[in-house]
Order: sequence, then structure tokens, then C-alpha cells
Amino acid sequence: MMAEATPLLDVESLSIRFGPSAPALVDNLSFSLKPGETLCLVGESGCGKSLTALALMGLLPTRAQPSGRARFEGRDLLTLPARQMQDLRGDRMAMIFQEPMTSLNPAFRIGDQIGESIVRHRGASRSEARKLALDMLRKVRIPAAEKRLDAYPHQLSGGMRQRIMIAVALVNEPDLLIADEPTTALDVTIQAQILALMRELQRAAGMAMILVTHDLGVVAEVADRVAVMYAGRIVETGTARDLFDDPQHPYTLGLIGSLPSLGRREGRLATIPGSVPPPDRFPAGCRFATRCPFADARCWTETPPLTGIGAAGHRAACFKAPIEANAGGLAA
Amino acid sequence: MTADASTDIILDARNLTRYFGGGYRFPFGEMPLIRAVDGVSLSVRRGETFAIVGESGCGKSTLARLILRLIEPTGGSVRFEGREITGTPPEAMRRLRRDMQIIFQDPFGSLNPRMTVGALIGEPLSVHGIASGRERDARVREMLRLVGLRPDHAGRYPHEFSGGQRQRIGIARALATRPRLLIGDEPVSALDVSIRAQVINLLEDLKAQLGLTLILVAHDLAVIRHTSDRIAVMYLGEIVEIADRDSLFETPRHPYTRSLIDAIPVPVPGARAARTLLQGDPPSPAAPPPGCRFHTRCVYAKDICRTDRPALRDIASGHRVACHLAGELQAHTLPAALETVSAARQRRVALFAGAQGIPASNA
Ligand SMILES: Nc1ncnc2c1ncn2[C@@H]1O[C@H](COP(=O)(O)OP(=O)(O)O)[C@@H](O)[C@H]1O
Ligand code: SF4
Ligand code: SF4
Ligand SMILES: [Mg+2]
Repeated sequence: MMAEATPLLDVESLSIRFGPSAPALVDNLSFSLKPGETLCLVGESGCGKSLTALALMGLLPTRAQPSGRARFEGRDLLTLPARQMQDLRGDRMAMIFQEPMTSLNPAFRIGDQIGESIVRHRGASRSEARKLALDMLRKVRIPAAEKRLDAYPHQLSGGMRQRIMIAVALVNEPDLLIADEPTTALDVTIQAQILALMRELQRAAGMAMILVTHDLGVVAEVADRVAVMYAGRIVETGTARDLFDDPQHPYTLGLIGSLPSLGRREGRLATIPGSVPPPDRFPAGCRFATRCPFADARCWTETPPLTGIGAAGHRAACFKAPIEANAGGLAA
Repeated sequence: MTADASTDIILDARNLTRYFGGGYRFPFGEMPLIRAVDGVSLSVRRGETFAIVGESGCGKSTLARLILRLIEPTGGSVRFEGREITGTPPEAMRRLRRDMQIIFQDPFGSLNPRMTVGALIGEPLSVHGIASGRERDARVREMLRLVGLRPDHAGRYPHEFSGGQRQRIGIARALATRPRLLIGDEPVSALDVSIRAQVINLLEDLKAQLGLTLILVAHDLAVIRHTSDRIAVMYLGEIVEIADRDSLFETPRHPYTRSLIDAIPVPVPGARAARTLLQGDPPSPAAPPPGCRFHTRCVYAKDICRTDRPALRDIASGHRVACHLAGELQAHTLPAALETVSAARQRRVALFAGAQGIPASNA
């Protein structure tokens, strides 16, 4: 175990609402991140992963009302004036998205897009920026990098564009990278290349990373720590080992059971019945109660707190965890 | 695949080819010729689940459409239940469509938003003159129940349903004519993990209940391993390997298949510690490399690979591979760690499944 380092990012009770009486789409989220660490936010669509990422980057839609605190290198990202936020973005913290075309400008050449960020944040000259952009293209292993400097995004494959996004994000060596489903749109062989590349660049620069994904396989490969989200809340958090070897929350169990194995077939898949309810129909207590086979009256009205269980730092928000002790009668 | 007389072949494709583009088009000039499917032969046995797997652009969706003759082939032929469908006139083809149906990846995009669910499911029944009026309505309700929706959902519109429910509607519509062959083009790829598992289980139940033959086009190898009996792996318009599910995953012979299996992230930390990753992107199907199309990315490539196209040949019983070195390459096995799951995880996942009345399955 590493010595307790001061966290690079410390999120405390982050909630996000669209309107004062609307349900919290992100509800009372707390987590922290050490320098160099990789945290995976995992969960199905609509669980609030992307909203959390956008809140940290200061990119929430204007109607969104965030509350709580998110301290990054001594400043609160939620209250930072727009100008200072812009200075941080693309410099000390950077973000990459699932679809590179949403953040690459189709009208600008690759070299200029990478260079712009260097000119802006580093005050480099045009020619210096071009040289750094070329270095960066080589670092993300773009073949024939020199030629690509003058290419437009649409002239490249999906995998190449994702590399370019990574180049743009990492060119100023940020301390924190937030990656929202960066490999979801890619084929598996390309995904494996991109993940390996991200890990390598991350190690070299000692950068911390928040990786948003729905893919538990990706989580097992890259995460130091994991936060499983359901309907806007963290329901379980711990190291990757905690989550995969000692999973506790029924939602985590359902997710794992829903995955077909690459090994021999072992019968039907376990499934989680139904689907995530719309936010205006979240139960008052545990939000998983509508789909949980272990739910009882208390679960519907009382919110289970995120409580330590098993190894240090492993926590789950379930009244019945561990289920073999507390829900055994039901399942027997 | 040379089927022996005892095997009932429901669908047989010979040397199917489909090119796109080519020729001169104003104002673009000479258009590149894209070899989307290039000489594919396969036989599907009645009652099996046959998977076609490969990465985007390898031609798997085009192949699925050729098999159903939703698009015309540039060359080759398809036989369905012994009948040649390649030259079949439109009227006879329309009748055949009752027996072969397709479901798509995007359940929203493939359902007309202005039609009620009842109209959507009933449409093929009217088109094929199978049922009308009350009989039709009864059949629609039966289909809804069959796919796990409520009969009173018939009056609602697609946008009122979640992604998983829309995929169920798509399945009900496809099955309304009681087809014998159902093709799914990435039917679960757009769905969330928990919903995906529901739809996979549903397809398996329906297949058993209705005696369907399934052809699944997919890129997710874990889903394929779970659901399929036999698997064809495609690369740049060609089939590079065909085998039974367990042979393909336990003794993959083609270097591309091996890379594909190696690249899948598995939900077991540490399982993927050491492996060699495939480098580079697949080349464009407009300019496939000569010889073996995989040679630009293959670590085993030799001189012959750059010039001679390897034929698909039998390496073991029912296991066909298109690689010059297929017989010589060392055995490739999945790391045991991939399946090493802790006792606590196994026990709790089984408890979770058991609490819903599902027999304990994989953990
Ligand atoms: N601009 C917006 N206006 C209203 N609701 C939104 C907006 N963006 C996201 N949401 C809602 O917030 C919830 C969480 O969304 P999101 O963070 O995108 O989930 P994820 O990234 O986990 O898929 C969903 O219910 C979604 O519909
Ligand atoms: S608190 Fe209750 S409803 Fe929520 S996960 Fe635990 S048992 Fe299920
Ligand atoms: S034929 Fe040659 S290049 Fe092609 S897969 Fe086999 S060894 Fe590799
Ligand atoms: Mg998202």
C-alpha cells in the first residue's frame, strides 16, 4: 500500500439536479483520487456517470444545479469562475469522450488542433507548437505522423481519431484525465490498443484518471479503485479486487451475473429484472429496491448508507450485505 | 462445409460476393471498389445458432443481408431449404420472407415511430395475408406475451418503451409470421448489460420453444460464446475460420481469431496480465492486401502469405481455417485465470440469481 498521499481530487456530497424540486440525478456522491490513481465509475446508461464527469470539468448544461464540493489542487471546481475553469481545462485537467468527432473540430487540421492547446496554455510559438504536436502524434503511435499533422479528422479511422483526442488531451501533461467511455465505440482489438496506450502514457506522466465505463471487463483491466453507480448514487466502492472477488451489493452481483463468460457455458445468465425507473419514480429509500430480489419494507423507505464491509476502503450501500448472512432465508 | 446426408442444412451460401462502389460517378470521378463480402461459403444446420463474428467493416452485416436477399449479390448463390433464392422472382421471394426474418441492432431506428406497437407487429401478418381483423389482433397479443410484454401494450407507441422493450417489440414483429430462420444483426449490442442478458435469455427461450434456427451477427465474443453452436470469423470480407463454439474458443487456429479472443477484456482482475496485442488498424476493404489479407498485421506472416491467398480448409473435424500455417502454429490456450472466480463471488451471484428463481448460472 502507498503511503496516504493528499488527494488530488476530493469530491464531497456532489449532487446534481435539474430544477429545485426535481430528483437528484447525481445524489450525494463522495470520492477522492490520489495522484497517479485510476478510478473507474461503472454503471448502466443514465446512472449519472457522465453528469458527474461533466460537473468536474465545468461542462454541465446551464440548467443543471450542482451542489457539494469538488476540490482539485486546492480549488473548488463547482464554484470556480468560468475564466479560471477554462484555464484549468486542457491544461491541469483534460477530458476525452466516447465520440471523438464531438470534440475534434472537423474544419481544422490535426496538427493545429493539438497545437492550439499548447499555444493557449503554454504561450508557445506556432512552430514550437507544431513540433510538440508532432511529438505527441508519435507518442500516441499515429503512423506517418508527419503526414497526419495536415490531415482533417474525417480522413482518419475511428481508432486514429481516438488517438488524436488522447493527444489533444495529454499534450499539456494534465494531472487528471477524465475519460468518458473512451473505447466504447471501438472494436475490441483497437480498444485493447487504446487502453494499453492510455495506461502507458498515464504511468509515464504520473497522471490520475477517472474512467467512466459500463464495461466490467475494462474495469478489471485498468482500475485501481472502482465506484459502482446506480440511479445517481454510489452503491459499492473499493479496489478492483474487492469488487470482483468480494462483490457485496445486489446490483454489483446482478451486473456480474449478467455477463456471459468467455469460458465454457455454465447455463442461463442471471439477470436483473426490469429496468432503471425514470428519476421521478425513484423509490424513497434504496433506489435499487424496484429490481432487488432481497428488498423488504425498510429498503423502500430508508436510504442505506455506504458502509464499510470486508477489506479497508471497501464499502457498500445495502442493508442486507453480506447477503449470505442477512438474506439467506430468502434465497435458500 | 460438406454436410453429410444426415445433416439437415437449412441455409447454404456458395461463394457469395458483394462489391460496392466502383465505376465513374460525377463529380467524384473514379469510385473505389469495396469488396464488402468476397467469396463466402457457409452452411447453417437446422436448429442451430450460427454466429458470424468480426470487427466493424469486415462485411458481417452485408453477409446477413445477402443471406436474406435484402440486397443482391454481385456473385454466388444462396439456397434456403434446398431452394435457390438468388434468382427467385419478387412474388415468390415475398412468400419466402415469411420464413426468414431479421432483427436489427437499433430497435428504435427500425420501428416506425408513428405506428402503434399493435400495428407494427400486425403489419407482417397483413402483408403476407396470414391473418386479419380479430384473428390478427389475437395473434398480436399472443406475440406480445411471447416476448414478455403485456397484451395491452398493443395500443402504445415505440417511444413509450425502453431500449430493451423496443428490442422485444422488434423480435415480436419478426416472429409474427412464424419464420423458421431468424437473423439477428447485433441484436443486443446497443443494450445495457442487465437488459442485454434479459434479451439473450429471451432469444434462447424462443429458439427452443419455436424450433428456430438463429444466425447471429455480432462483435461481442463473450455473447457469441454463450449463445452459439458454431461460429464463423470474418476478416476483410472473407471467412478466416469456422468451428464449433468450444473448438473455436479453446483451440483457435487462425492468428486473427487468436488476437480477437486475446483482446477481450474479462471481468477478472489480473487475468490479462501478459498478452501480445494486435497492432494497427484493419486495411481498407477498398484495397485489401494481396495474398492473405491478414498478413499486414500477422506476426507469423511468411513470404507465401504476401502472395498466395490461403484457402479455407479442414484442420480438424468441422474446424476450417484459412491460413497457410494453420496446422503448424503452436496450440493457443486461454489463460486459466480467465475463469478463476472467487468462491465469495460465485456464492453471492448464485444467491442473487436463485432469489429470482433462476437456476444458479455463471458467476
Ligand atoms: N441535459 C440534460 N437535461 C436533463 N436530464 C439530463 C441531461 N443530461 C443527462 N440527463 C439525465 O441524467 C441522468 C444521468 O445521465 P448521464 O450522466 O448521461 O448517465 P450515464 O453517463 O451514466 O449514461 C439520466 O436520467 C439522463 O437522462
Ligand atoms: S438495501 Fe435493500 S433493496 Fe437496496 S440493495 Fe440492499 S437489499 Fe436490495
Ligand atoms: S496465412 Fe500467413 S499471414 Fe495469413 S494468418 Fe496465416 S500465417 Fe498469418
Ligand atoms: Mg454516458
